[in-house]
Amino acid sequence: MNEAALILEQVRMPMLGSPHRLDVDLRIGAGEFVAVVGPSRSGKSLILELAAGLVSPQAGRVILLGHEWVVDLNDESSPVRLRLGTVLQQPGLLSNMTLFNNVALPLRYHRASMSERDRESAVMAQLERLRLVPMRDRFPAELNQGEVRRGAIARALMLDPDVLLLDDPVAGLDAEMVLALKAYVEERQRTRTLTVVAALRSFSPFIEGADRLVLLRNGRVEADGPRAALAEAVASTLRHYLG
Amino acid sequence: MIEWVGRKTIAGYAYLAALATLASQALLDLILPTRQGRRESWLVLVRQILFTGVDALPVTTVIALLVGIIIITQAGTQLPKLGAGGLVGSIIVVTVIRELGPLLTAFIVVGRSGTAIATELGNMSVTREVVALRLMGIPISRFVIMPRMVGMVLSMICLTLYFDVVAVLGGYLVANAQLTIPFYAFLEGVMKALSSSDVALTALKGLLFGSAVAAVCCHHGLAVRSSFTEVPQQTTRAMINSFVLCLLIDVVVTVPLYL
Repeated sequence: MNEAALILEQVRMPMLGSPHRLDVDLRIGAGEFVAVVGPSRSGKSLILELAAGLVSPQAGRVILLGHEWVVDLNDESSPVRLRLGTVLQQPGLLSNMTLFNNVALPLRYHRASMSERDRESAVMAQLERLRLVPMRDRFPAELNQGEVRRGAIARALMLDPDVLLLDDPVAGLDAEMVLALKAYVEERQRTRTLTVVAALRSFSPFIEGADRLVLLRNGRVEADGPRAALAEAVASTLRHYLG
Repeated sequence: MIEWVGRKTIAGYAYLAALATLASQALLDLILPTRQGRRESWLVLVRQILFTGVDALPVTTVIALLVGIIIITQAGTQLPKLGAGGLVGSIIVVTVIRELGPLLTAFIVVGRSGTAIATELGNMSVTREVVALRLMGIPISRFVIMPRMVGMVLSMICLTLYFDVVAVLGGYLVANAQLTIPFYAFLEGVMKALSSSDVALTALKGLLFGSAVAAVCCHHGLAVRSSFTEVPQQTTRAMINSFVLCLLIDVVVTVPLYL
């Protein structure tokens, strides 16, 4: 297997609102597109939060791009953050900024030397790919759920991350947009080594782009492998997550 | 009972330590700026000064004028009965420039901007904007807290001095209209009573009140966890604690100097 982008080594963690606890051991290679699927409260979002260094595991280690997360409230300046793009279930677009300014913020903050013109063209290119150009001057409160999510994905991709963590990326997106998003992620993966970990709570065509599926239930990995292989292996109750 | 007092005392110290940590981190971010995000933090700072300082000028003007008018009306009608009519000028220095100016300005700033900061940060916490900033590698202390604290401190100092000037002017309006004291006589009375330490002290109070209010409001805003109903609760706490802290600071600064 190629070099690991994300390792969750014997991670154990209580899950909020569930009697079960997360108990996983995962290794995701650089450039892989992994879809973590399963019912609600199975631990998908928690895996992403652990991978993003937002929470510490009760036991085990989380290593992202060779950096072991030690959660510290002042860890924003960790350089590994700039190699990671994350969109959580609540996308967190800044409500006092327009969509354009939200997407431009990572560049404005971390690439201060970039000219305003280059910055604008980079942001516009991103908005265009995600079909958000007409919304550029709208505030998050004026956007629908799918537009907010796409805006957050655009923002997460602005610094060309090595790892992209997406929690329910298709929520609020129409079928056409799901396919467009899948095509865009695949295109980004073709042009550079981009590891994608997406958590999905139901079947979506977005899953078809994944190299590997991790099927999660009650905090444990029920199955892990390519979609076709899993369809045969898993219990019938879980097959509908695979399509 | 003793246990309760002990618990409350420890909680009080922990609260003050949290405020001091927040303020000292903001100070460090101010004196040790990084190249990263300097312009963005500067823009937040300018917006904060506009909101806390410039936008507060009309309400500060009205309140300062009214306070000046009230104080000189009372002083002008009562002092002559005691044979101290010549103290009208010094009464405005003692009451407004030394005490009411900084305190009332702090109350205006708490009511307008402190609550706005607590609400804004509270909402940002609930909608996970604070988490999103962390995920983007943007330090909260540098991008959110420091500009708000610095903006509030600078605005508070300027507004306090402005309040004092306008209140003196309001006092003069009454002194002139009601007590027929000419402008130069009134000004001479004020200048005679006013020392440079009074001006320095009023500015110092502005600095301390501004730091305290900003730290309290940022702390309570960021203390909101997961529900919008926590936002007004934390905002109310921020407001009350800001008032109490300003009065405490006022006592600590004033008593040793004037007693």
